Amino acid sequence: MALTCARCGAQNPDGNRFCQACGTPLTAAAAGIAAPPTAPPGPPGAYPGAPPGPPAPYPGPPPGPPGPAYASPLAYASPPPVPAGYQSPYYVPGAGAVQAPVHRVPLMLILSAVVVLVLLMAGIGTAIAIIGSHNNNQAGGGIASGLPSPSPGGSPSPVGSSVSTTGTTATNPGLSVPVPAGWSVANKDSESITLVDPNSQGAITVASGLSNPAQSAQQNRDSINKYFTGKYPDAKNCPTSQTTTGALNAASGIFWTLCFTLTSGGQSIPAASSLFVGANSDGGVYYLVELVTQQDNLQSFVSESQPVLAGIQWKLS
Amino acid sequence: MRCDHCAHDVPDGVFCTRCGAHQGTSEEIGNAKTRERRYAAHPAEHVIQPSVFTTLFPHLGQHKIHEFRWAFMVGLAGILILYVAGLITAAILVAAFLVPVLYLIYLYEAQVYRDEPATVLGFTIGGGIVVGIVVTVLERVVYHPFQDAGNPLVNAGISVGSLLLLGLVLPVIQEVLKPLPALFLPNRADFPETVDGLVFGIASGLGFSLAETLIVFSGALTSLTAHVEPANWIYELMTLAVLQPVLQGSATGMIVATLWRYRRGRLGGREIGGVAMAVIAHVAFALGTQLMNDTSVNSLFVLTWQGVVVGALLIYIRYVLHHALLEEAAHMGYAETICANCHMHIVASGFCPNCGMALTAAPNSVKRGRRPRKDAPTASRDA
Repeated sequence: MALTCARCGAQNPDGNRFCQACGTPLTAAAAGIAAPPTAPPGPPGAYPGAPPGPPAPYPGPPPGPPGPAYASPLAYASPPPVPAGYQSPYYVPGAGAVQAPVHRVPLMLILSAVVVLVLLMAGIGTAIAIIGSHNNNQAGGGIASGLPSPSPGGSPSPVGSSVSTTGTTATNPGLSVPVPAGWSVANKDSESITLVDPNSQGAITVASGLSNPAQSAQQNRDSINKYFTGKYPDAKNCPTSQTTTGALNAASGIFWTLCFTLTSGGQSIPAASSLFVGANSDGGVYYLVELVTQQDNLQSFVSESQPVLAGIQWKLS
Repeated sequence: MRCDHCAHDVPDGVFCTRCGAHQGTSEEIGNAKTRERRYAAHPAEHVIQPSVFTTLFPHLGQHKIHEFRWAFMVGLAGILILYVAGLITAAILVAAFLVPVLYLIYLYEAQVYRDEPATVLGFTIGGGIVVGIVVTVLERVVYHPFQDAGNPLVNAGISVGSLLLLGLVLPVIQEVLKPLPALFLPNRADFPETVDGLVFGIASGLGFSLAETLIVFSGALTSLTAHVEPANWIYELMTLAVLQPVLQGSATGMIVATLWRYRRGRLGGREIGGVAMAVIAHVAFALGTQLMNDTSVNSLFVLTWQGVVVGALLIYIRYVLHHALLEEAAHMGYAETICANCHMHIVASGFCPNCGMALTAAPNSVKRGRRPRKDAPTASRDA
């Protein structure tokens, strides 16, 4: 028996579920339900700009098997007349239709996964930290303890040292520094020279220049501490280090050691920086020595750096 | 009705189910054909909106997106709690794993890998991890951070050599190598859509990011004590948890999506610009970060810069994906299906007539549930 579409009047072969001309469900049409459901006024997740087409009575939830497939709209408007030629963009799932679930992972499972991740990593991280901290040596010593015989503090008139090295000497307007065999100059400008040891296990930066405005040694130290705490997330005085005053090759100043995590270039290193900073009597000139290496390597690096430290010649006074 | 833009007879709706064009006249939609105020993967948003989730998780509907956002916020809250408690080691680990784990859940939810999860996950996330290990280990060999110790009284200065290496050479090398695992996916022909390429690229980039973070921070993880002063670690953690994985994932996703387009013979200026954008964004991210760190700029500015770069990259990805979806969804057959975004039962080809979502971006379970509508008006009514 041919089925006549209630909307467009087209004849459809028996067995068609939808009008082959306009797509209207034929079952609904035969039952006098002319139009398919329209967009609900605001079900959860529904798009706010629902089609302005004519609403129609919703024929009820799909009679298919129960499941999380589709949350039926909550409310529908009363049906206005269907204009001729209207072609519904919606369909009513047929009886027995099995609809695959739209979503597979419920909210609680997603949240649980994240909470488990946090708890698991908290446990693993703490365990790693406890085990790792047993194996770590804290940085101790520093430039002051490494120098064989620090000069007594006093007038910072630059005095040359007679340190013999098998290498060359690097120099700039503010200072000169011996470059032992195997060491290399990584950076040099008008105020500072940076040397790297043969195994790239550490670096020494020696610098001297004019301070404008004038700064005391303590003010210079504060500036350096501020620089480190701003650049590295956890810079602080190393636990076993001490802050002392003294002189380095006739430049008086302050010795101290900072520990921090140096993250750069594919690695994060527990680093230590042994520092000396001084100033002349009116604060117009600064003197700086900075050793950087791994925390557990500081002592040996200071020893390795002896020829460099002892051979620094300050040119400004 | 007849679509004003593609001239096909389609079911009535706000959007043409065949070409996705907006059919209304009252809405301030801009260009109805390109409908850039209705992002094809998530029509509630504008294309130019730097949203992480609707860009990197394009298969999720409006409801599900919020669930993933909530889960991400819970993860960030966990990192914050660990940070305040001084458990920095744990916080670093959570930050490294948070986005990759969420992406794994997303891949399962959307079943982008269809019937071959092991192959797809192995070649994308697994391959990204392998590339990440190789690249980061080589990076450690060629670069010694101590050499950049400068004069802190004059802001340490800027090492041009290090800037070029870390800010230019390494990002370019990474962007060349990161897409390789996804490109060598053996069954890639089964995943022809641009959105597939995007997701595979993102997965590869996230695998890379995970490996990179774990190797980079291996020193800190094994040296920090169980409880340390929180200090300024929060900035580093935010980069690790959010900005770095999003950058690595989206840059690789953009490149792989472009290569997917090339395979379809659809390589145009938009796609070539996407590759350039991915590389430029990565270089800008790394170079700017290195430069600001060298000059001791406040960490908040560093984070802001990173966020701006990532946001710009996300917008470009949305722009490329939006137009790819508009084009590719037009070739889908006419079927009964459910819109993953608005959950309406719809009779449509490529686009939901209700919300305008491109149905190529629907989860695979929904795509499989499409029932062809043979008796529906299609070719016979074509103009």
